[in-house]
Amino acid sequence: MRKPRIPARLSRPTKNVLAFDTVESINWRALAPIGVFFLLCVVIAIFSPNFLSVSNAIRILNASAIPVVLVMGATFVILMGSIDLSVEGIVALCAVVTASLVLNDTFASDLGLWAIPFAVLAGGIIGGINGSTHVYLKVPSFMVTLGIGFVCLGIATAALGGFPVRISDRGFRALTLGRTLGLPNGIWVAAAAVAVAMIVQERTRLGRYVYAIGTDETTARQSGVPIERTRVLVFVLAGLFSGLAGAMAAAQLGQGHALIASGRLFTTITAVVVGGTALSGGVGSVLNSVVGVLIVIVLTNGMVLMGVPPFVQQGVQGFLIIVAVTLALDRRQLLVVK
Amino acid sequence: MSDKQKELLRNLVPVFTLLILVLGIAAYEPRFLRPANLITVTADTMTLFLMASGATFVIMLGSIDLSIQAVASMTSCILAAMLPMFGGTALLVALAAGGLAGVLSGLVVNNFRIPSFVATLAIGGIMTSVAFWASNERSIYISDNDKSAWLDWATGTTAGIDNEVIVGILVLAALTAILSLTRFGRLVRAVGSQEQAVVASGINVNRIKFLAFVISGLMAGLAGIVMAARLGSGSPTLASEFLLPAIACIIVGGTAITGGVGSIWKTFVGALIIAVVRIGMTFVGVTVFAQQIVFGLVLVLAVAMTIDRTKVSVVK
Repeated sequence: MRKPRIPARLSRPTKNVLAFDTVESINWRALAPIGVFFLLCVVIAIFSPNFLSVSNAIRILNASAIPVVLVMGATFVILMGSIDLSVEGIVALCAVVTASLVLNDTFASDLGLWAIPFAVLAGGIIGGINGSTHVYLKVPSFMVTLGIGFVCLGIATAALGGFPVRISDRGFRALTLGRTLGLPNGIWVAAAAVAVAMIVQERTRLGRYVYAIGTDETTARQSGVPIERTRVLVFVLAGLFSGLAGAMAAAQLGQGHALIASGRLFTTITAVVVGGTALSGGVGSVLNSVVGVLIVIVLTNGMVLMGVPPFVQQGVQGFLIIVAVTLALDRRQLLVVK
Repeated sequence: MSDKQKELLRNLVPVFTLLILVLGIAAYEPRFLRPANLITVTADTMTLFLMASGATFVIMLGSIDLSIQAVASMTSCILAAMLPMFGGTALLVALAAGGLAGVLSGLVVNNFRIPSFVATLAIGGIMTSVAFWASNERSIYISDNDKSAWLDWATGTTAGIDNEVIVGILVLAALTAILSLTRFGRLVRAVGSQEQAVVASGINVNRIKFLAFVISGLMAGLAGIVMAARLGSGSPTLASEFLLPAIACIIVGGTAITGGVGSIWKTFVGALIIAVVRIGMTFVGVTVFAQQIVFGLVLVLAVAMTIDRTKVSVVK
């Protein structure tokens, strides 16, 4: 007997926040992230005229490249109502893997750009470990990813005895430092990642299953959605994106070490929730998260231009998380908050 | 096996684990069992226990506090920055700042209905910013004069026993009393076991949660103060490495993250287990860098073993 399948039409993501079919049904709350983004730009431009220049725009896009790649994976995880706290661990470990495989000062290897598939693969494997531990041992995702994230950081530190690996391959560093058509290559890589994530979200069964699970897992299971497989695959996907981000971070900084990703987790989660993807799952999209990243990076950039000390940023991001989650949550669903 | 026997077994497993680990190390190195050495090991463990002791309440509710390391770092900075000018008042201000962090977490979780792991992650970020601000982005040295005048209760010795141990045991006694003798303590267990039933019986669950987060913040604050006293300095990253072992020692002690089951002495035993495992790894020759790998794995495995799967139909 064939397994029951969700009819394709019915399972189209109906809560894709940025999409609206008719003029009457414009969801104003859903457009809020874009409004916030423009408002932010206007306010910063008033205080600091340097903000509105082509070079600063490119600087902002360039700074957004790695966070955008990271949120592509994190969005799917959060859409399922889970969370991935291992972002920093995977990025650091994959950056170390990348730096060790290209021409470097510590190990004898020279894979050049071929190091990238290995980094992405390493990320995918760790994502697979995250997902299978979460699903088959039935451990909540935040606990698994917290633990595995620390394991990755530990491996990244122990493998190098606490020292960084320096990359001497200039060709490889062009992955983020070089320019194509006037834009830094990192931006193109990020754009490609967005395209891949959009295809997964809009055109694959996996994408639809993610919305189904996030909206109501019990109903999804009864409708024949393969919950376990989908959950593992989504964590693998998140790992793949984190692996790519690791390779990009290594190329950008010219080295690989355990602390290379510190602060990335915070930015990633802030961007996803500020973009309007709800932590309770089922609501949001990867495009929302792109807007979220732009908001976070523009805010950071604006604070730098206005002379705010850099250490305030973490506090501001923490504050943003609280505000954004509060505005995005559908409180009727939440009788019990743990 | 009856429920009572199961309960007994669950209580004994961590204790036996600790004994076996201690005896294992003693087989390698008999001098480990000297009383003076055992007291030193316990004293070294107390900051970890203090951080985890308050968070145990939060975990027993089925929530989590991921801000404890940030709160401890912050109070260490406030203490070190204020001690030269304000003396003993600095202790109170630092402790109050820890409590305030708990108040904020509690308010955010209760009033904005944000899941605790995100709420405390965010509050932790804010506390880190406060720590950087209070310390002017560097580590602050505590002078020997200030240390002997105001921090002797934490670092000195009384009757041959390190004061950290005494502080730890006092906290253990106080929090155990709160957990087992007060209405609040009973309700913490009840909320962790079956929150909807407690809501339905007309009890103000928000107040219970709020208090639990405040206790967690206060204890993390106290841990930061003792840590600063021991190390003779405060810094915004002083306790960053402590989140993982702190959560691990709560879970390894036998408190389940699903809530309802647990106690403070279990966290005490868990902290000692973590400390002994760390010493054991050094004996066996595991580098300091690799210890994080072990703790991460221990955390995931311990959670997988202690979690109550009957309580959660959907694991997110």
